[in-house]
Amino acid sequence: MNESAKRARDIITGYSGRPLRIMEVCGTHTHEIFRLGLRKLLPPQINLISGPGCPVCVTAVGFIDEAIWLALEKGCIICTFGDLIRVPGTEMSLAGARAKGAEIRPVYSPLDAVALAKEHPEKQVVFLAVGFETTTPSACLAAKQAKDAGLANFSLLTANKTMPNAYQALVGSADAFLYPGHVNAITGNATCIRLCEEQGVSGVVAGFTASELLTALAVTIRLLEEGKPFFRNCYPRVVRDEGNPAALRMMEEVMEACDSEWRGLGMIPGSGMKLRAEYADFDARIKFDMPVITGKPNPACRCGDVLQGKIRPCDCKVFGKGCTPLHPVGACMVSDEGACAAYYQYS
Amino acid sequence: MCVGLSARVVRVEEGTALIDASGAQREVSAGVLDDLEPGDFVMVHAGVAIAKITEDDAQEADEVMEDLL
Repeated sequence: MNESAKRARDIITGYSGRPLRIMEVCGTHTHEIFRLGLRKLLPPQINLISGPGCPVCVTAVGFIDEAIWLALEKGCIICTFGDLIRVPGTEMSLAGARAKGAEIRPVYSPLDAVALAKEHPEKQVVFLAVGFETTTPSACLAAKQAKDAGLANFSLLTANKTMPNAYQALVGSADAFLYPGHVNAITGNATCIRLCEEQGVSGVVAGFTASELLTALAVTIRLLEEGKPFFRNCYPRVVRDEGNPAALRMMEEVMEACDSEWRGLGMIPGSGMKLRAEYADFDARIKFDMPVITGKPNPACRCGDVLQGKIRPCDCKVFGKGCTPLHPVGACMVSDEGACAAYYQYS
Repeated sequence: MCVGLSARVVRVEEGTALIDASGAQREVSAGVLDDLEPGDFVMVHAGVAIAKITEDDAQEADEVMEDLL
């Protein structure tokens, strides 16, 4: 540990002021702070709360039902990031659909799904496009590649989300946000700066190594002590104020804003992304004339309250009993980035 | 799924980069980064290089903490 990281650690461990609520917007931050043992450094009056920044966790139940409909009713190969496979839908998960004969394939990248479609022209391949601004460029690249190649057997089922309107929904829920570094790597910092200047919302962009998380927490604590709204980029080796202009241009070309349902937060206007009309041939809902499918979440699951920082995972009645990583009731217990999975594994 | 992978660029060809992450190599898209060159470090996410980065987080900590003074 270098001198700066030690100084950051001393600021954290030496804090003796008023109680503070700091929200880890990004699920990977929740996971890494646990995994690196940083929670043990915190004095009791510093409360880290989890936010909605796990794309799998905020994906609505109905989206899983839609994917299962495509797999079982239309015989599509479903390609997905692996963490979605065990997320419960209304009646079953994608793993359950696989047990009924559906072809569900985990992939590392949407571009791998395009390659699979090229290899299997006789099959329809659908990629489940979830994720925030970090992931959406890869889905857009996949749509562009498929269009350029004239692929007739590839499409996206989209549930992409954007963070600015979610931040609005979360204003007041914490004293400061740890902003998700890899979202800001794409979007830049303008939204966070505006939140600070216009609404007094404080936060820092944080990276993911021990050094980066220590410094981000120390900066947050020290600036909260000063009492004025602040924004700082504590991840400058990756995040620039302007973000990634080429990625932003491509997202603008391929997708457009739409209303989107967030597990726990409900429908947030303008917080989703869908394919533009020019890419309608690659929109699975249009291509397969999908009916409106509305999911019904398990009433015992309190993932929604966890995602808004209203309760800790261990405050949910089914946490660790009916809901475990082996038998998850809610999405937050499935994904590695889910707050419930992190609490279950490390606390 | 938001976990990024930092890696060194080995080769760039027609919008694709071969990257090396601690010895593991794979091809990723370089479609959203201009002027990528061998030897650059990048953050990779879901098969796409999303940002050029510097490798050293210790120097970053120095800068961030210095700024706090």
